[in-house]
Amino acid sequence: MKPFFKPKAYFRPGSLGKAVELLSNFGDRAKVLAGGTDLLVQKPSGAECLIDIADLGLEYIKEHENGVEIGAATTVRSIGVSGSLSSEPYLVLRDAACALGTPTIRNMATIGGNICNASPAADLPLALMVLGASLTIMGPAGKREVNIGEFFENIGGKNIQADELLLSINIPASRGRCGTSFQKLRHHQTSIDIAIVNVAARMTCEKQACVKASIALGAVAPTPIYARKAEALLGKKRPNAAIIQEAASAASEEVNPIDDVRGSKWYRKKMAAVLVRRALEESSRRCGIWPE
Amino acid sequence: MARVNIKIKVNGKLQELGVEAHETLLDTLRERLGLLAAKYGCGDGECGACTVLVEGNATLSCLTLAAHVDGKDIETIEGLEQGSHLHPLQESFVEQGAIQCGYCTPGMIMSAKALLDKDADPSEEKVRRAISNNLCRCTGYEKPVKAILEAARRMRGEK
Ligand SMILES: Cc1cc2nc3c(=O)[nH]c(=O)nc-3n(C[C@H](O)[C@H](O)[C@H](O)COP(=O)(O)OP(=O)(O)OC[C@H]3O[C@@H](n4cnc5c(N)ncnc54)[C@H](O)[C@@H]3O)c2cc1C
Ligand code: FES
Ligand code: FES
Repeated sequence: MKPFFKPKAYFRPGSLGKAVELLSNFGDRAKVLAGGTDLLVQKPSGAECLIDIADLGLEYIKEHENGVEIGAATTVRSIGVSGSLSSEPYLVLRDAACALGTPTIRNMATIGGNICNASPAADLPLALMVLGASLTIMGPAGKREVNIGEFFENIGGKNIQADELLLSINIPASRGRCGTSFQKLRHHQTSIDIAIVNVAARMTCEKQACVKASIALGAVAPTPIYARKAEALLGKKRPNAAIIQEAASAASEEVNPIDDVRGSKWYRKKMAAVLVRRALEESSRRCGIWPE
Repeated sequence: MARVNIKIKVNGKLQELGVEAHETLLDTLRERLGLLAAKYGCGDGECGACTVLVEGNATLSCLTLAAHVDGKDIETIEGLEQGSHLHPLQESFVEQGAIQCGYCTPGMIMSAKALLDKDADPSEEKVRRAISNNLCRCTGYEKPVKAILEAARRMRGEK
């Protein structure tokens, strides 16, 4: 039991305007509450008031001609079973959602909470990184858009202020044929534990060649990262076993993991290569260009 | 400290309560309503001893604020018995010996109920996944899995 978590007030605003007003009045002393699966575990002692976003209409998955828009309060379960996400390039997000936690956690956890909690091992941000998603964030001065990659670039891990609210995640439709993959290593593949290493990948193909590759890794650096050198090795070529292995080894050189209870630095580097290889194999298979 | 007024339905009965801002649904059920089946195991989302159904979905009541479920339908294992008849899940847990100390049982049965209410004929794999957030320290999982599959057969009217 953590005795210090005793917020004195609970608000459930019915409009975005009211929510942002509350956030700017309370600043650091307020905490946004979505599914609570991170917040109520961390039980931060400084939280004097909770702002529940359940009544803001932020639970939706909308398809439109430029892609898919997902409300920040959408549960991970809804993402895992959504028909709108059951074809490429969105399979990587669906698969990441199905690999997050357990069915019970997925009933509660939201995509916005997974992003804003900014754990370096979080599953959904990796999928959103290879999908080139952008985030719509609202604060006292209005709305702003930020690319998911930039969101995690800041030291300390996230680009959102105490008085701001994440509203939605926007995923652009793909131009060209795509294959994606999500890979996650944990102690028991069905157990309750976050990743030792997790990887998302995406390949865009023309004819039989990969014209663009994107690879993101988690739990191997202070924030989720792109493996830029590995991505560059895949460009403009038809993937084969040797190229994929070369890219996987390059990715493992780009990461900078720590030793902790889940795994050592050495093990994480080895496993980063294995997971990147599997992710690239599956991406090229889903693109229809593997095996040759 | 300001109270939050909520209305929740618990096992079919409407409850109007004033709860604390930081009060978990688990505390509300246990301390205010005297429903002691849902247990506190870890308070961190790992053990599932506190699992109840919110709008039919398995939910960890230790990580859910009571205020957050205002207006919702809550089910605990206390609501499963019909008159003097146990629910088929309860019956088959008893018959299969799927209970030793019983600390995990209310949570495990509620996770199973959420599954069977949506899927009358689940695979063993699905059953295992449905209870993957329920930790059992003494019986293990073989007998609970058997008991859930047996209950599903009975609920479908098979012998
Ligand atoms: C047993 C267990 C297993 C887990 N397994 C995994 C796993 O395998 N993979 C994984 O990635 N995570 C895992 N998690 C972590 C957690 O479930 C996820 O990160 C989840 O998506 C968080 O969402 P939430 O809605 O519950 O967030 P909350 O706890 O409600 O919020 C998390 C943080 O984000 C802030 N926040 C939430 N929404 C917004 C918003 N719209 N705008 C601004 N700030 C916001 C909150 O203030 C808080 O600081 C696990 C957690 C538990 C307890
Ligand atoms: S007490 Fe809720 S999961 Fe352990
Ligand atoms: S029966 Fe004792 S913990 Fe499961």
